Amino acid sequence: MAFAIWAVLSVLGVAAVVGMQILPIVASREAVVIDRALVALTVVSVPVLMFVVVGMLYSAIRFRAGNDDTEGPPIHGHRRLEAGWVVGTFVMVIGVAAYGTIGLLEIRGDQHADLEVQVHAKQWAWEFDYVDLGLDSEELILPVGRRIHITLISSDAIHSLSVPAFGIKQDAVPGRVTQLYVTPTLTGTYGAQCAELCGLGHTRMLAQVTVMEPSEFDAWVAQKRLESGE
Amino acid sequence: MAGSGTRMARWRRPGLARGILGGLVGLVIGALPLIVVAQLGTEITPGGFLALGYVGFLLGWLAGLGAFGAWAGWALGRPSNPADQAAAHGRGGDWTRYFRFTTDHKVIGIQYLLAFLALFLIAGLLAMVIRLELAQSGQIFGTDTYNTIMSTHGTLMIFVALNTIVGGLGNYFVPLMIGARDMAFPRLNALSFWLVPPALLLILLNPVFGGFDTGWTGYPPLSRQAELGEQAFLLTFITIGISSIVSAVNFLVTVARLRTTGMSMMRLPIFVWSLLVTTAIVLVATSVVASALTMSLFDRLLGTDFFRPASGGDPILYQHLFWFYSHPAVYVMAVPAFGAVLEVVPVFARKPLFAYRLAVLSFVAIGVLSFMVWAHHMFVSGMAEFFHIPIMISTELISVPTGIVFFSALGTIWLGRLRFATPMLWVFGFIWCFLIGGITGVYLADVPTDLVLTDTYFVVAHFHYTIVGGMIFGLFAGLTYWFPKFTGRLMSERLGKLHFWWFTLAFNASFLPMFWLGIQGMRRRVADYPAELGELNLLASVAAWMIGLSMLVFVYNFIRSWARGPLAGANPWRARTLEWQVSSPPPVDNFEHPPVVSSGPYEYGVSVGRAG
Repeated sequence: MAFAIWAVLSVLGVAAVVGMQILPIVASREAVVIDRALVALTVVSVPVLMFVVVGMLYSAIRFRAGNDDTEGPPIHGHRRLEAGWVVGTFVMVIGVAAYGTIGLLEIRGDQHADLEVQVHAKQWAWEFDYVDLGLDSEELILPVGRRIHITLISSDAIHSLSVPAFGIKQDAVPGRVTQLYVTPTLTGTYGAQCAELCGLGHTRMLAQVTVMEPSEFDAWVAQKRLESGE
Repeated sequence: MAGSGTRMARWRRPGLARGILGGLVGLVIGALPLIVVAQLGTEITPGGFLALGYVGFLLGWLAGLGAFGAWAGWALGRPSNPADQAAAHGRGGDWTRYFRFTTDHKVIGIQYLLAFLALFLIAGLLAMVIRLELAQSGQIFGTDTYNTIMSTHGTLMIFVALNTIVGGLGNYFVPLMIGARDMAFPRLNALSFWLVPPALLLILLNPVFGGFDTGWTGYPPLSRQAELGEQAFLLTFITIGISSIVSAVNFLVTVARLRTTGMSMMRLPIFVWSLLVTTAIVLVATSVVASALTMSLFDRLLGTDFFRPASGGDPILYQHLFWFYSHPAVYVMAVPAFGAVLEVVPVFARKPLFAYRLAVLSFVAIGVLSFMVWAHHMFVSGMAEFFHIPIMISTELISVPTGIVFFSALGTIWLGRLRFATPMLWVFGFIWCFLIGGITGVYLADVPTDLVLTDTYFVVAHFHYTIVGGMIFGLFAGLTYWFPKFTGRLMSERLGKLHFWWFTLAFNASFLPMFWLGIQGMRRRVADYPAELGELNLLASVAAWMIGLSMLVFVYNFIRSWARGPLAGANPWRARTLEWQVSSPPPVDNFEHPPVVSSGPYEYGVSVGRAG
């Protein structure tokens, strides 16, 4: 009976989750991998959640004591059940970890890049240097469909560049150069924010991210160059 | 004349008054060297005054309390006075022994319990202030005020989570449960408690020193820029750490050496096992964080460069050292709660603990694995790239032993004869909340999903589900279960159930929305957020204030029942463990004759047990 309830709820739960998009905006190739991972973990979690919840609620109703003074059966354990539980959870964990490793390699494995951007974080503002192009900007402008290599430096405290729409985040640490890759897939305007507590101005340490067609990006670069008087 | 004589005597007798006097004298003595140095023309900093003055206060306070009296007497070869010893053991009997340096583990347990419950209420009030700021977008307080409130809330709650079960319930019940008369080192036990009040006073005073804005993690370089309040945080944390180490040694030796006849390791109540593993973690890990904090303190105070990149220091090193302790520390919070929950389950299911040996092994496995997972706090920190994968795997592996806790609880409940007294309700609440906390933990252990979720409200929701849902629910299960034992009186079941439902519903209404807020990208540790996230934040805030209000029911029930509740008798829950076989509250020496144990702690459902 309890098993049947669990099975039905699990199937319903999994059916509801599969094909869902969990992140509000998925605007990069990395975010696609991450959103898929969120769905996968939820698919695995539903049966686990249901197992414990159904087990708990079913017992609460079915095994509630009457007014008599009886005690339960003196069961101290069940060797095969115990072994099965340990092996079962272990296999599940290894599966989840393997899936996570594959996803991580998809996100960070490909080392080639079409464009280099160095992010300079300081209390409390962002500066984006296009090192190959000799430009800098207070707004992060990126061409769609290109793989961007972002390196981060900080001159004071630890900051963290977070662009929720891209699903990515990376700390900028004084004395180090950190890095990440991102491939925007949707044109539009998104928010970047500092995700590591960095003092008084942390809450307001925001920047705008605009993803545009490569032709528009080239036009922006040309105009930027003109402005700086080259 | 006689009156003034007694008034003078109070300052000479070891006790609270002399402790405060001693502390003030110590403060001055501690600061003296700096005054001398200043006369020589060297520039001195307020930080130096605070550090040396605090250490002076701490030592003077302990001396004034009489902490060193017995050791000094021994060193000087003075014969010990039996009357003094009896007084030191709290045999005086009246309530003043709770305010003295006494060595009875039961007095110390109550001291810990009440001190940290009070701290829990204070830190909870700060949480309500945080939720006031976050109820709507826009800011009420300045950012510096907000950061200080948030940091203080976090730090205090960490201390509550680390100490309330271990120091309170652990001190009170471990010796009773193993059939011992006291802890192995009663004076060290008292020392570990009395180190705590000055430390807590200092952290509570941190706004006087300008507050601190680094959160409880105190990451450099921010911690080096922060106000003097940061130093109050560092000194407090180090002191609490020393207290924990002293207490951990005591627990380990007590369980190793003072078990009564027949109390083999495999007959230890599961709560004792949980504390054994916990204190082993404390002993190994705490000195690591103490070293990190001391280096951080020296960076501020003496101009060293441990974590300053400009001179070759490394901020990431701090994070490694900090989390090498602070991740095991979450198991210092959670494992005693597992122990309390698994202790309560068999009593109210009237059935032996299911898979006892496996549960013991799972605690040990958690203890070992807890040292191999720290870097999952650092997936976006910029640490070595290859390190992500092994840490992800080890972190997810820890869900195997943690899963066994659920397995053991559910296995015990299954086919039981369940009685839903208040402690059992908290067990069910624990299972639900810790399940949510555990499952969402996998999302944070998985590197791809962690990249988007870390440093957002998803993390805030996750750790509140594990620490409140785990440790606090476990605490309430244990507290309501053992209340009749340490007070001799029953708590009101009606008010207990009201508190449970109110607290649990409000807690879930407050923290479930935060998972969603995190997925929307709402960062943690911010004083403001985009207006479109306003509605759910308002819900979280209103529910958070309801959690606060529910605590009034608890406080009222706790105080009223302690004063006027119906007498409980020795064993109101008809439990089989040793602490229930003596009167409530137990006599000063616990057992008239050392008890002899001939069976396991959870022999329910067998005919021998039914007669008792």
